[in-house]
Amino acid sequence: MTTPTACRSLYAHVPFCRSLCGYCDFYSQVLDDAWVTPYVEAVLRELAGYAARRPLDLDTIYVGGGTPTVLPAGELERLLSGLRRYAPDDAALEFTVEANPATITDEIAAVLAAAGVNRVSIGAQSFDPAELRTLERTHAPGHVIEAVDQCRRLGVRRISLDLIFGIPGQTLESWWRSLAAAVAIAPEHLSCYSLTYEPGTPLCTRLNAGQVQRVDEDLEADMYEAALDVLPTAGLAHYEISNFARPGAECRHNLRTWHNEPYLGVGPAAAGYIDAVRYTNVADTAAYVAAVAENRSPWHQHERLSAEGRARETAMLALRLTRGIDCRSFAERHGQDPAVLFGAAIERHTRDGLLAVDDASIRLTRAGLLVADTVIADFLCVR
Amino acid sequence: MDQALIRNFSIVAHIDHGKSTLADRLLQVSGAISERDLKEQVLDDMDLERERGITIKASAVTIDMNVDGRTYMFNLIDTPGHVDFHYEVDRALAACDGALLVVDATQGVQAQTVANAYAAVNNNLEIIPVINKIDLPSAAPEDAAIEIEHVLGISADNVQFVSAKSGVGIGDLIRAIVRHLPPPKGEPNGPLQALIFDSEYNDYRGVICYLRIVNGTIRKGQRVLLMGRQRTYLVTELGKFRPQMSPCDELAAGETGYVVASIKRLQDVTVGDTITDAGQPALQPLPGYQPPQHMVFCDFYPSSGESYDALREALEKLSLNDASFSFAPQHSDALGPGFRCGFLGLLHMDIVQERLERECGVSVVQTAPSVTYEVVPHDGPVRRVESAGDLPDMGMIAELREPIIETQIITPADAIGSIMQLAEQRRGVYRKTEYLSPQRVLLTYEFPFNEILYDFYDKLKSVTRGYGTMDYHVIGYRAGDLVKLDILVNGVPVDALSLICHRSKAEARGRRFLIKLRREIARHQFEIALQAAIGSKVIARETIKPFRKNVTAKCYGGDVTRKRKLLEKQKAGKKRMKTIGRVDIPQKAFMTVLEPED
Repeated sequence: MTTPTACRSLYAHVPFCRSLCGYCDFYSQVLDDAWVTPYVEAVLRELAGYAARRPLDLDTIYVGGGTPTVLPAGELERLLSGLRRYAPDDAALEFTVEANPATITDEIAAVLAAAGVNRVSIGAQSFDPAELRTLERTHAPGHVIEAVDQCRRLGVRRISLDLIFGIPGQTLESWWRSLAAAVAIAPEHLSCYSLTYEPGTPLCTRLNAGQVQRVDEDLEADMYEAALDVLPTAGLAHYEISNFARPGAECRHNLRTWHNEPYLGVGPAAAGYIDAVRYTNVADTAAYVAAVAENRSPWHQHERLSAEGRARETAMLALRLTRGIDCRSFAERHGQDPAVLFGAAIERHTRDGLLAVDDASIRLTRAGLLVADTVIADFLCVR
Repeated sequence: MDQALIRNFSIVAHIDHGKSTLADRLLQVSGAISERDLKEQVLDDMDLERERGITIKASAVTIDMNVDGRTYMFNLIDTPGHVDFHYEVDRALAACDGALLVVDATQGVQAQTVANAYAAVNNNLEIIPVINKIDLPSAAPEDAAIEIEHVLGISADNVQFVSAKSGVGIGDLIRAIVRHLPPPKGEPNGPLQALIFDSEYNDYRGVICYLRIVNGTIRKGQRVLLMGRQRTYLVTELGKFRPQMSPCDELAAGETGYVVASIKRLQDVTVGDTITDAGQPALQPLPGYQPPQHMVFCDFYPSSGESYDALREALEKLSLNDASFSFAPQHSDALGPGFRCGFLGLLHMDIVQERLERECGVSVVQTAPSVTYEVVPHDGPVRRVESAGDLPDMGMIAELREPIIETQIITPADAIGSIMQLAEQRRGVYRKTEYLSPQRVLLTYEFPFNEILYDFYDKLKSVTRGYGTMDYHVIGYRAGDLVKLDILVNGVPVDALSLICHRSKAEARGRRFLIKLRREIARHQFEIALQAAIGSKVIARETIKPFRKNVTAKCYGGDVTRKRKLLEKQKAGKKRMKTIGRVDIPQKAFMTVLEPED
């Protein structure tokens, strides 16, 4: 049995939304007031259970969902302050809450600020009303600007926006307009995701039924390249496949994941990585609440990684970063030279111009970024 | 038993005309089975047969029939109804003295009615035409009788009108069998000569041979000789099917039954061989029959996750009770080790593949079926090849011959035009038209076999609104302007995809095939050229553009395991594909040639 290691990052999942979006496959349910209090109590109880067995020295907290800002103000306040108790140093803490632009009222914004939230991630998705309707988002483009203003007025220092490209019906021009609108808001951080048709989502069902058309692969590639080209000129440096930030404003919480470091996950469907075990909680609020109340583990599945498994995951995650795999720290952590361990994959993809390698790092080239899965798959399996 | 009281006969019919129902009705009337036990088609004992409504293996049943105060022994030999199994029909008929030719009163004479009637005539059998299903509202029994007389030249005087289902007319039919079908001739005290007309494998008894005793008598404990194989066996059990196996001590000339003689493998018995006494053998064997001709070949390869050994064991197991398909090891550059299998026809191929999956739990990748071709080299003997991959260099070949079939098509007269058009597309050669009635015609055509291999029957059904029926038999080989069509993926020829076809069709065929293949192969990082070529001449080309983007947008703390597994799966999926050059080809691509042409 491994001694419980200290944990510095925490993810809390809020499984409620005002309405569900057809493309999203994160676990969520339409807000049901009856479940809010039992849910908040269960999360804090689950977290207390971890804290009893290992030191928690949090310097990143990320509250995602679902839509955390859909919670009633009082319960949101109780949840946020309850999480923050495990972060000893306010000055060092990155405290992120995800928000739907339509749900940030003055009251909610005040709760966030009062709880010490210093980073708000807003799901803007698009600035085109028709595209927002396709995604079944309930907000209008103007809501994003208002929400950002509210947060800034109350002193939230960092704003991150999410955008989606490859939306059915989207054109390169409309994507440019969304990028420009996002840049105009001057967020510290911007995520640009290509729309993924997740199996089981209503959007995927519509795709399979021929009711929506996937955008052409070439157009999608053009959209991605447009983001890669334009955002750095606006001061947002590319640092992960889908993420851009002002220097120093990268998301520290997510960097923990990409650096393959431990983090706790609490709440229904939340995932965590502690003591070389990856676990996922049960994706059912009632079952989750019941398990925690009865002192049973809410883990739905877990997997203990072998030393080699950990090394391969380190590579898989690090390759998503523009900095790539840091050869020295990889060797220190896993006891193997990555250039040797992944020799065949490196040789093949370097030859094809998808990887750039020097003594210090192994990283995707611009061409490699577009086909990252092809490259990364070869770091996961031995052929 | 007095030979005058024995009748050996078969029931032959077009599919679904009620052959098996009639057999069951005779069993019930004789008391061999009760009315209560009269479940559908007692004689078909494979699940698959019952599901498809066809009889695959012939079976033989002995019943005692009381007719006008005397007890007759009826030996009823059932036959398969499908064109693929003509060979088995012939075998069964050789053991008979007469045949009941069943025709559905609602459908009249159909293609296999004609084929079966000819087979019975060729075996010198006495024929009783039986018009069945006369109780159905749409029945036209008189018309059917006229067609029989007109088309088959069989006198309508003896025609029996029955409903096997309700039992109407069965009494008269039984009297007609006694009156019109001849009793067997043969010398019970002469040297033993028994024809093996079928065999099957039983887990407990080993091989069971179905016999027609022509001369002499066979007894339990007797040492017998298989004249063709020149091997002797001790008879451990003799009996009759009633319809359950019912042992007896002897079978005399004129009777049919089964014999068990510690024969371990089905392959040790040649159906058509003659059994005689080992001590006092007959001077010569009975006329046997030609071994079955495998007309259709395809390769089976283990599917992903299946092993070659599991496939081999499954094929061995199936061959225990189906001696009419063959298999031999085969290696494909593209698909690895597998088996080349020969079948009597396409239905037979489907049945074997289905039995592999159902009875053995083995799933296979099946290549497109092919017929056998004759290669006439510039020097050396003529030889047969079963696939394009086996062809020698075309420069060595003086002539390539393809199998030709003669086809009888029975169709409503108003569909003649459409059928002629269809026949023209398939290089058919018109032979003759015979009118069965003003509304129905019998068309005779010759076709290259490979032209009807895939979807001809479906097309025929569609242009005749379901009324057309066909039957065929191979009449020989004929030289044709045939070419080998190679399929190249990024310049590399893929053996499992090459095929033989007529020059006039090669370009269209190649073009269509490449379009289908393009849909099956995913985009790669590089451009892929698909080409169809005859020799070094490329006649069609398709291009698969390289992909530009293959990247998972989101990978956060909640996703790590799932994303990793997706990537691993993507990678594992590639392992199951066949890599040719640097192109990953999914197994399904190898089946695309099977899809109907459109």
